Amino acid sequence: MSIKKIGPAALERWVDGLIGRQTVIGVQAKGDKFAFAPLAKTSALRLDYDVAVTAPKAFLQPPCETLLRFNPKGYESVVDEQPFVLFGVHPYDAAAILQMDVVFAEGQADIHYLKRRAQATLVVSDVQQPSANVFAGCMNTAVLEQGGDVMLTRIGDAYLVESRSDKGAALVKSLAGEPDAAPADLQLRKKTWDDNRKRLRRHELKVKPGDLPALLARSYDHPVWEEKSKRCFSCGSCNLVCPTCYCFNVRDDVRWDLQSGERVRTWDGCMLAEFALVAGGHNFRKKKPERYRHRYLRKGQYLFEQHRQIACVGCGRCIGACVTKIANPVEIYNRLAEGPR
Amino acid sequence: MDKPRVAIFDFACCEGCQLQIVNLEEELLDVLSLVQPVEWREAISDQSDTYDIAIVEGSITRPGDEEKLRQIRSRAKVLVALGACATMGGVNKLKNNFTMEDVRREVYGKDGSMPHLDTAPTKALDEVVKVDLKIHGCPINNKEFAYILRCLALGKTPAIPNYPVCVECKMRGNVCRYEYNEICLGPVTRAGCDAKCPSAGFWCFGCRGYVDDPNVQAAREVMEHYGKTMEDLKGRLLLFNSKQEATENVK
Repeated sequence: MSIKKIGPAALERWVDGLIGRQTVIGVQAKGDKFAFAPLAKTSALRLDYDVAVTAPKAFLQPPCETLLRFNPKGYESVVDEQPFVLFGVHPYDAAAILQMDVVFAEGQADIHYLKRRAQATLVVSDVQQPSANVFAGCMNTAVLEQGGDVMLTRIGDAYLVESRSDKGAALVKSLAGEPDAAPADLQLRKKTWDDNRKRLRRHELKVKPGDLPALLARSYDHPVWEEKSKRCFSCGSCNLVCPTCYCFNVRDDVRWDLQSGERVRTWDGCMLAEFALVAGGHNFRKKKPERYRHRYLRKGQYLFEQHRQIACVGCGRCIGACVTKIANPVEIYNRLAEGPR
Repeated sequence: MDKPRVAIFDFACCEGCQLQIVNLEEELLDVLSLVQPVEWREAISDQSDTYDIAIVEGSITRPGDEEKLRQIRSRAKVLVALGACATMGGVNKLKNNFTMEDVRREVYGKDGSMPHLDTAPTKALDEVVKVDLKIHGCPINNKEFAYILRCLALGKTPAIPNYPVCVECKMRGNVCRYEYNEICLGPVTRAGCDAKCPSAGFWCFGCRGYVDDPNVQAAREVMEHYGKTMEDLKGRLLLFNSKQEATENVK
């Protein structure tokens, strides 16, 4: 498919047209930060954002969602099948969504996620302003060379628009009359990508991501877990802002007739004190160091053993979200790389 | 099966938690489908000494209150503490930072020594009698009250959060107050309020009390990072958490 080059006016016509036809969740200002929210007009779109406060996963796995409704006669699953566009997703967040696609499809496929995902068109946008803590450059997620439905890259005042799927082609159909990107534009895009791989490194990881599983496997008894977790609130902030954290809790709530009701799932996090509390009252990660270690091992070792993916995309949200500043994965991984002390 | 008889009582408080029950409005009829209120000063004129469930709001602040609460306990099969004043003493415990003489003089001036103004250090209900269930908050979240009531009617243990307010704050997509160098008590405070205050642009005041294992030590250690002092932190904690063990440990 050809790559189009569109100016600001064409971008506005295009996105306004999309808004008229379907729900567009676009990145916008939220105070002095940025957040994904339903977009009312293109002028509110802020593709120059640094990082969204909440990862766009929230629109695929909402913080709180009804899974099914029940009554004495039976139950019925609740699935959300409204088409929507996620507009302006950064490459690292898109990489995280591609990981979630694998997680929710394996084993007992999760229809709530997968059906919603099937309705989503992902418009990925290259990073223009690196955030304070991003280290996607170290995690090979600063650029998304494949995947997503549409890829946007800013070149001067214009955008290069690449359709990458059938859904993407449908979305950019109205741009058919716009000029194709010239070879020089593609050169500039390549330069942006090369630059972003170097720029999105506010923290410098001293080991290769591929070496993390082995590094973590031999660091189970490292003193850093005990040391850092002394300052852990067990507040789960690092989990909940993470674009690759997908753990959830499920609870039934009944209506006043005490017979009908709904099953609700909410975000959960392995850093919370009762995350691993099971029936009978046993908590198999009762202590803070155990939970703190688990988060890193899960991200860099356990999930790699399952999916061959490192479940950290370097967005840096956990670094900012942790009030006591103990959640920087780069700091921990570099410390482990220094050896067992 | 007869519906359980419920009596609602109040001690030292603003009665705002009872009001939250009244504020269930159209759902009140649903409440009545599960329980039979037999005493509830704010909503009905009946009184009764026979009830299964006692819902008690307010703190114990006068010597005579203790006897009254013990009597309620002896009559009830289940005693529920309603709201921060009842569950932990709440703002009423601010009083315990002073001598009773100072408190009486501050509030009533020269009349402070009159016998009918006798007062004692504030106690939460569980410092006097056994409490079976606590409904947290100032005021309580009436949706949580309704949920707890349905759980009790089913004979099921309600799931009361034992994680910090940060969880609900993140779920609502709020920017952390600490990013603006404000002391927020969210990281040590029990969730269940849906992070109302941070969502409205305030810090968490800690009205639902501490989580079971609050890391107040960690809060101390980061004050400097945010350009704050221990006194600043203590000042915040005292409002709802005066004389709580974790607060006393902030030195």
